[in-house]
Amino acid sequence: MNKKPNHIQPTLSAGAFPSVQGMWKQHQSDAAQSLLPTGAPYVDERLRGGITQAGLHEFFGGAQADSHAAAAFALLLAWRLPESDAGIFWISGDKERQTSGRLYPYGLSAMGGDPARMLLVQTADLRDALRAAADAIRSKAASAVILETHGNARLVDLTSTRRLALAAAETGVLALLVRGDAVPMPSAARTRWRICSAPSAPLPGNAPGLPTFDISLLRHRGGTAPFEARVTWDHATRSFFDAPLSGGLSAIVTDTETGPASRQRA
Amino acid sequence: MRLAACDPAAHALGLTAGMALADARARVPDLAVFDHDPVADLNLLGWLADGCERYTPACMLDPPQGLLLDITGCEHVFGDAARLAKDLHARLSRHGLTCQIASGSTPDSAQAKARYAARAISDVPVEALDGGDKVHKALRRAGLRSIGDLAIRPRKPLAARFGKAVVVRLARLLEEEDPRITPRRSLPIIHVTQNFAEPISRTNDVLATIEMLAGNTALQLQERGQGGRRFEIRLFRSDGHVARLAVDTGTPTRDAALLMRLIRERIDALSDPLDPGFGYDLIRLEVPLAEVLANVQVGLETKIDTGAAAAALIDRLSVRLGAERVRQFHARQSHIPERAALERAAQSDASKADWPKADWPKPVPGEPAMRPFRLFETPQPIEVTAGFPEGEPRSFRWRRHVHRVTRVEGPERISPEWWRHPRGYAPGNGSLTRDYYRVEDNEGRRFWLFRRGLYDEIERPLWYLHGIFA
Repeated sequence: MNKKPNHIQPTLSAGAFPSVQGMWKQHQSDAAQSLLPTGAPYVDERLRGGITQAGLHEFFGGAQADSHAAAAFALLLAWRLPESDAGIFWISGDKERQTSGRLYPYGLSAMGGDPARMLLVQTADLRDALRAAADAIRSKAASAVILETHGNARLVDLTSTRRLALAAAETGVLALLVRGDAVPMPSAARTRWRICSAPSAPLPGNAPGLPTFDISLLRHRGGTAPFEARVTWDHATRSFFDAPLSGGLSAIVTDTETGPASRQRA
Repeated sequence: MRLAACDPAAHALGLTAGMALADARARVPDLAVFDHDPVADLNLLGWLADGCERYTPACMLDPPQGLLLDITGCEHVFGDAARLAKDLHARLSRHGLTCQIASGSTPDSAQAKARYAARAISDVPVEALDGGDKVHKALRRAGLRSIGDLAIRPRKPLAARFGKAVVVRLARLLEEEDPRITPRRSLPIIHVTQNFAEPISRTNDVLATIEMLAGNTALQLQERGQGGRRFEIRLFRSDGHVARLAVDTGTPTRDAALLMRLIRERIDALSDPLDPGFGYDLIRLEVPLAEVLANVQVGLETKIDTGAAAAALIDRLSVRLGAERVRQFHARQSHIPERAALERAAQSDASKADWPKADWPKPVPGEPAMRPFRLFETPQPIEVTAGFPEGEPRSFRWRRHVHRVTRVEGPERISPEWWRHPRGYAPGNGSLTRDYYRVEDNEGRRFWLFRRGLYDEIERPLWYLHGIFA
């Protein structure tokens, strides 16, 4: 029998001298298990800690104009990751940039992010974008990779998402797929969310307040039941918190016709 | 109309360049003539020069019909200069070109010998001095017909009579003074070449050769303590065509494996695939640009160097997609929102050197973002209902959807940058003042709108949607 040291299970003791490879494997499996909490107590409780850091997550916009909310939510989740040298890759195609505009660094920094860590990759088409995303996830250079697509794309199917998901599980990179104006299709993502903008708690003078989202978990590979929540982003603590329902709720009640339920896509 | 050039058969019939077309036709009635196309001639010469780079990287055009190659230190690859000339002659003849090859210790001497088909420089006629008709005529009248006749004369009277330029040229022709040629391309820092007795055409063979050359280059770079920033591969086809592949890297590197990955990407990204034709008989890898790269001790601990990994990834994506498609943010001094932030290629070294790391404003605790996280390159025109002129928006229509405004903050007035305007400040010149509003609609979406122009600036200011808040 030819025993390879790097095949020793991390839980087994490899004698008095644990092999470097074994330790590295152990470290990697720890990384694979680690969860990224959103910071909002209710959401984290339902998710039993948070979303898997080494995995692919999908974010759908509720209605056409909510693709921005999905993009913003994905970006804010990426900023929840602990500070590191590794960059955050934002990959999108020419089409997405034309319909949704470009990222604006002053706005990013005002939300508590560091624009210097952002790396923007703009591809001609979705095929290139998927390939670039897979490369970015596979390399150790990224802490998070966000791929933005717009519209129902046949290329984003079970095969291509599985490729991204496997790469993410291997390297521990947070992979986020933003799908604006699209209908959910089978994919290999660990979680699938629908994100809508939600009325914010107004500031004095009826000024718009902090970023607020209605998030609903549509699907979870770990078996967590779908749920809905309203969260607000606090840039000072770089975390979400459960939105107080007082200010926001009244807006829904007085305006049931356009509430989040009616904005869900079939 | 005159003859610009004639082929050997025409020469044999007594025709010469410069002869009037009518005279030529009178002598040879069925003469075939074509329009003179100097641009095409020059292109052909450039194409030949590309092919001649197989002999030496120092190659210079000598229009209209000449090429100068500096083969110093290169001839040993072929044995000696004569064999090199034989090889060159064979290759040019294959294309149906007539050529006259000569070598000399100075470019001027080689050029003159080739032009006048002379074995020795002393046989070359005085016209090689390029001094103009007057000078040549005067020399001939004095009985000085060849360079050999001039060589034994004292130079001072010559300089006094015909000018210094003639004497300098004479010294160069006589190989007394050696001016360097100015190569078409700057010489690479390192170049490694592989010759093949039989042309190779399979892509795998080509890649294997490049890999071998890359390993060789890496060793040379290591000895010099340098890393390459640009690598160029030249594939010399046996029929004279030369294919070029260039790969740029964001940080100096001498990692052969990384280089191979980039080259594979480059080949994959080619719009028309490499056409080996009858095969490549010479492959060269050049490093035109290199920078200092110290040797690094790799730590025993498996700590991943994210910086190096990021640089490698940026290089890969830049090679595949184009450098301008992989970008980073850069701040710029401007009050106009869309001018205040730039995106620059992440790969360019300028991003590291001249551009100080941008100090992006820190968020204010408790205050929401005053700038959107997304901005439209061109502000989106919208139809706005406002309470009163210069009032805040009540509702607006964007992309066929009406948004009722429930919360609003503003205006934040941004004046045009009149100091950038050539005529300076004057009311109404340059662009218009913008009044920005942060609004939230009844569905909770937050937008950044502005009205372009005050009511005392223009008659009917228009509204635009400029950005989206999270």
